[in-house]
Amino acid sequence: MNAPTDRDLILRARRGDTEAYGNLVARHQTGVFNICYRILHNRADAEDLAQETFIRALDRLHTFDFEREFSPWIRRVAANLCLNHLEAHKPSASLDEERDEDKTPSPGEQVEVKERSEQIRSALASLPPHYRVVVELRHYQELSYDEIAHELNIPLSDVKSHLFRARKLLAEKLHAPD
Amino acid sequence: MHLTDHISDVQLNEYLDNESADRAEIETHLDSCDECAARLSALQALFTDLDSLPEVTLSTNLAARFTSDRKLVPQLPRWLTLTASLQAAAALVALIVAIPFFSIMLPKIEAPSFTELLFELQSIWASWLDALSNYQLPNYQFTDLPTYPVELSTLFIALAIVSIFWIFGNGLLLRNQTK
Ligand SMILES: [Zn+2]
Repeated sequence: MNAPTDRDLILRARRGDTEAYGNLVARHQTGVFNICYRILHNRADAEDLAQETFIRALDRLHTFDFEREFSPWIRRVAANLCLNHLEAHKPSASLDEERDEDKTPSPGEQVEVKERSEQIRSALASLPPHYRVVVELRHYQELSYDEIAHELNIPLSDVKSHLFRARKLLAEKLHAPD
Repeated sequence: MHLTDHISDVQLNEYLDNESADRAEIETHLDSCDECAARLSALQALFTDLDSLPEVTLSTNLAARFTSDRKLVPQLPRWLTLTASLQAAAALVALIVAIPFFSIMLPKIEAPSFTELLFELQSIWASWLDALSNYQLPNYQFTDLPTYPVELSTLFIALAIVSIFWIFGNGLLLRNQTK
């Protein structure tokens, strides 16, 4: 027997099948967690928000449109929740210190990759909340300008200006000649 | 756009995002202008950087939190569960305290028979209707306004407070379900 589709699992979860919803969460949790982690740059907060995303999704499961795919939907819910979270909790001064680095040592090239990733994550975390989410939706969720405007309920001109300014700031941080 | 004009930042971003209406013109310009071509590759490098970000692994299994809970409801805030437990404890204590009252006092109260009770209720109801139909607005001075007996008004206040708490408490409990 083939593995059940997301659609099957949603139908079963709607009827109160917790096992089915657990399976759905298992499938998408890493993707959702990574969205939260890219936006929040804090592992504990990202896990909380990923959890919150699945709780919200469960609450709204009856409104889910079966014509659409579950994955893009849940990913947008996550991005929106993170934005709300950032706006409600102004970043603490200790953000930089609680950066989440893997402490296991690894040889040469891997260290470089890890360092670069960390630089990119730090650069993303230095952006204002709206810029971060626009970058997330454009670069990692591959939404169009129109879709981003609709998703965040902001004018198209704001989508463009947020995105272009965000890229300028990122380029300054990441490609500064040193 | 003239061929001699450089490509603006906005145009360059839109071009890379596949949101540009004048792709052909931009490409023609890029072919002949090293400066704009360099700006394009700088922006492309940023795109590549962002794409290169690896996925990190979760340290906990979020799915387990859903399947292990028998009910699919979010955890209530700590203070709310604590308040509910305290209320339950208080109710239990009240019940225990009330047991002697029920076992000792209650049998001593002489209960009227059912028909007597009905008759009494009926007469109270009749007197109420009577009083209502005969009621006239008092034309007293304001200083002589009739006041409720103290017990009655305190009862009302107490009822109002209890109702507010009840509505507030239930509102909090139901908030997650109605969203
Ligand atoms: Zn040029």
